[in-house]
Amino acid sequence: MLKKRLIPKFLLRDGRLVKYVRFFENERAAGNPVTTAKVYNDYGVDELIVLDIVPSAASRSRVVEIIERMSEEIFMPFTVGGGVKTLEDVNMLLRAGADKVSVNSEAVRRPEFLREAARTFGDQCMTVSIDYKRISPDQASVFIDGGREQVALDPVEWARRCEDLHCGEVLLGSIDRDGTMSGYDLDMIHAVSRALSVPLIVSGGCGSLQHAIDALEAGASAVAISSMFLFTDHSPIKLRSHLASRGLDVRSSSSSRN
Amino acid sequence: MSHVAIVDYGINNVRSVRNAVEYCGFDPVVTHDEDAIADASHVILPGVGAFGDAMTNIRARGIDAMLERHVREKGKPFLAVCLGMQLLAKTSEEHADDNVAHRGLGWFDADVLRLMPNDPALKIPHMGWNMVAKERSHPILAGIRESNLAFYFVHSFAMRCNVESDVVGYAQYGQSVTAIIARDNVVATQFHPEKSQDSGIELVSNFLRWNP
Repeated sequence: MLKKRLIPKFLLRDGRLVKYVRFFENERAAGNPVTTAKVYNDYGVDELIVLDIVPSAASRSRVVEIIERMSEEIFMPFTVGGGVKTLEDVNMLLRAGADKVSVNSEAVRRPEFLREAARTFGDQCMTVSIDYKRISPDQASVFIDGGREQVALDPVEWARRCEDLHCGEVLLGSIDRDGTMSGYDLDMIHAVSRALSVPLIVSGGCGSLQHAIDALEAGASAVAISSMFLFTDHSPIKLRSHLASRGLDVRSSSSSRN
Repeated sequence: MSHVAIVDYGINNVRSVRNAVEYCGFDPVVTHDEDAIADASHVILPGVGAFGDAMTNIRARGIDAMLERHVREKGKPFLAVCLGMQLLAKTSEEHADDNVAHRGLGWFDADVLRLMPNDPALKIPHMGWNMVAKERSHPILAGIRESNLAFYFVHSFAMRCNVESDVVGYAQYGQSVTAIIARDNVVATQFHPEKSQDSGIELVSNFLRWNP
């Protein structure tokens, strides 16, 4: 059966690895993306997600170059996104070495684009990234443009609609919990995973080994982790062996070369 | 040193296969030129895309005849990946028109069928890391521990072999999924070794050092 996945998430700004709290606060530099990716590769993570958070024509070419360099030495699936608006954008990232391309704002503005991209490149190539915020105790709203613009969409309904538009998986990100290491939004994970039949990757809030277990038990197929790997001593190896010891089906942690 | 031919039949993303060959210390050439295939030490048939289009391109470029001569007749070591593996079957029902199956290269007595897991909760495509259980040993798996036979799969169709001895390993996904097949100098994987980290690179490296 398929393994649960551990996925470091890289945010790039002008080609540098950065990390924030709640999308905008407390910017921290987090190193060189290619070097860091190699370290994670040695740790045997299952995939990498790379998102360009301030996309422009110039940053796109930096991202392409970074993905090309990563794919020379790192042999695992890459999901790449940030500012993807056209079929040519998708094609360029796939050619650079991405296996999946993540679409966020453009899927909201032009849902037909998602369907068209899935038809052209295959459903399995298209990931939809959905960022959301709690706007009242019992209501959440989707935000686009890197968390800057609120749109009148409920995350659960929007996720389901994206599946109808043939996305291959959904990357769900809680803006409220981003970078806080206070735990995932389990209620939302539960609701979205029940609504979907495609895999759900969850992001925002992981700060402990238990948080990852909670998210996987709430229905996530994969946990995306950024701060915990970058800023604590919980490495992917430690997380993986902890998950395995608690009976979760993850890949064996030992490298074939050990 | 002679090169490794990666067969170019018009699919646009062979970068990771090429990178994996280079990483293993070999010289990859992406080509559909017969001389380049004839001079290669090893041949790889990668695969992403749809079965019907792939076969159309292969026939239009005469690649089927080239592979027949250099792989089947002369015995050059050959690795086919994902859709590349499926192309070795007799038929595929992927997007078949009017229920007439596409014809493949027919090197294996096998058919490509849509995945039908027995659990409705299992999603199609079968995408992610899955374990392969060995039916028998094979040189491309040399040195890889059984607990590390986890590989990255992305596919909605899979091969069903009519000759049990052609199968080297299966994965389980609500059904048995043919994961590795082999006969003589030909080996093929449904998963992507070039996306399967250490175990995948080990497999590619074993293949490139294999002289059946």
